[in-house]
Amino acid sequence: LEDIVNMCNSQQLSFILQLVSPRLKKDPMMSLPDELCLRILSFIDDPKDLARASQVSRRWRDLVSDDMTWKNLCLKHDYQRRLSEVQTSMQYSNFLRPDTTSSFYQPYSAPATSLTFDDALSLRRPRSYKSHFKQRYLVDAAWRTGGRNITKNITQEGGVVTSLHLTKKYIIVALDNTKIHVFDTEGNELRTLRGHMMGVWAMVPWDDVLVSGGCDRDVRVWDLTTGVCMHTLRGHTSTVRCLKMSDANTAISGSRDTTLRVWDIRNGVCRNVLVGHQASVRCLEIHGDIVVSGSYDTTAKVWSISEGRCLHTLSGHYSQIYAIAFDGYRVATGSLDTSVRIWNAATGECQAVLQGHTSLVGQLQMRGGTLVTGGSDGSVRVWSLEKMCPIHRLAAHDNSVTSLQFDDTRIVSGGSDGRVKVWDLKTGQLVRELISQGEAVWRVAFEAEKCVAMALRNSRTVMEVWSFSPPEDVF
Amino acid sequence: MAENDERALQRVSLQSNDGQVITVDRVVAERSLLIKNLIEDLGDEAVMNEAIPLPNVNEPVLRKVVEWCEHHRKDPPQTTEDENDSRKKSTEIDEWDQKFMQVDQEMLFEIILAANYMDIKPLLDVGCKTVANMIKGKSPEEIRKTFNITNDFTPEEEEQIRRENEWAEDR
Repeated sequence: LEDIVNMCNSQQLSFILQLVSPRLKKDPMMSLPDELCLRILSFIDDPKDLARASQVSRRWRDLVSDDMTWKNLCLKHDYQRRLSEVQTSMQYSNFLRPDTTSSFYQPYSAPATSLTFDDALSLRRPRSYKSHFKQRYLVDAAWRTGGRNITKNITQEGGVVTSLHLTKKYIIVALDNTKIHVFDTEGNELRTLRGHMMGVWAMVPWDDVLVSGGCDRDVRVWDLTTGVCMHTLRGHTSTVRCLKMSDANTAISGSRDTTLRVWDIRNGVCRNVLVGHQASVRCLEIHGDIVVSGSYDTTAKVWSISEGRCLHTLSGHYSQIYAIAFDGYRVATGSLDTSVRIWNAATGECQAVLQGHTSLVGQLQMRGGTLVTGGSDGSVRVWSLEKMCPIHRLAAHDNSVTSLQFDDTRIVSGGSDGRVKVWDLKTGQLVRELISQGEAVWRVAFEAEKCVAMALRNSRTVMEVWSFSPPEDVF
Repeated sequence: MAENDERALQRVSLQSNDGQVITVDRVVAERSLLIKNLIEDLGDEAVMNEAIPLPNVNEPVLRKVVEWCEHHRKDPPQTTEDENDSRKKSTEIDEWDQKFMQVDQEMLFEIILAANYMDIKPLLDVGCKTVANMIKGKSPEEIRKTFNITNDFTPEEEEQIRRENEWAEDR
């Protein structure tokens, strides 16, 4: 053979090459068993490569459509299924197999959950990993470069937005001009809640109920479906500054009058008054039977809700506390003294002092082992609570950070420089700016596929609603 | 210690399906979990005296596999945790392995099959990554050319599957 090749001229050689080279090629997906083909595909990280591979031939298409491939890709991209999805399907599987999973075996009774039969039917079709991946991938891409947005004027004169909530059903906006505006999640106005005599400074939604409070010292309980004020709860002797709910019947308010009040909002009565702080109660957080409060008296307190007594006083800050977070074990406090402190809620001891901000720390959120803080110095900082050390320092805004929120993937921050910025939680990189023409951003809130920002623009208070959901027709 | 020394000096014979016998150090042969388990099951004596038959592997492929095992004789032993991890691990291949895998496609796929049969996960992964890298960044037509694949879609099917996959393209 070698002799033959040696006798060939280059034209003949290139003919041989053309003849031979395809014969040295072989379809790996035909040469290998399925299991190994899928293993090969598991080393491809880019969905674009997979999508293209599925267009090669029928055999390739069938292999790429295997859901294990997409499950791997979900893992690699950290596209875990949302907890709620898992929980609902778990609830549902309990309902399907009451004999094996429930001790209350009642074969023909309806499930005790709020699931209707239609809900259950729609859950029966579990979403494939491929469509889950596609969904998350498209949402991610939309967060980076796409998305649709609408802008609404809320006031002509530019009131201060004191509170913003984005729930499954509503967008709720409270203003210092006594009004609370309720929108659907698309941003269509549903109703305005009127009743407060002065600015509304705190509110908390729970399904179709909203509890609000403000300068008029009243705590009001609203039915969001009708706009009716169901209760006006009196007791505080100064501005209500913070509000949270511990269950569907219990709201807790903190006030400039130095007390916290525990309200039974169904019956409209005050169940307890938590007395102990020496100055205004600025922030509070609830977990189970424990409420933690941060005060201008520089301390935070851990209270038992059922017993109505103070369990621990967390002392250490040198100045007023403006922000508090609590996950049931750890308490994080942000203070005017520029530091953040981490406390053990069970013992009351200070576990760490996180230094770095150069001004008031007014924003903080805790999630898993991660804490994100924002300050009047304009920076957003990401901290590891496992190591009690900084992970990222983001030069986020020219002025104060007025609002921030984060989830597993991203941080959204709003600043008094009028900008809303989206950051990658893991890398600390700026992903995108959502609005920049504002004069100041009052509040931002987001969920997986939606982001709402309240801003001052041309002296008007405006609401921007962004949607990152892929269009329905792609599924 | 003495026992370890002894084991290190032991040699094992492997027999390919075409009757060729290749003798290697026991540690090299034990990169293959198939062989390692076999030695454990049958006992040292039995294996040391007779060649281990590998009916699914021919000589040229066995030589390549042995070459790989010789080079990687000092690698830490594989664990089951690695297996779960490998999905998240990078797709990088070290330089020596890249060179090692510069063989024709037939041989490449044979090595993958042999690594799978002989239960040598790291080699299997290097092989699969090599094929994966030949797929990455290519259009469907380029992939077909790379592996000499015939497009067996009807034009209608091709158009439909193109549309189904459009979402991954625009970004």
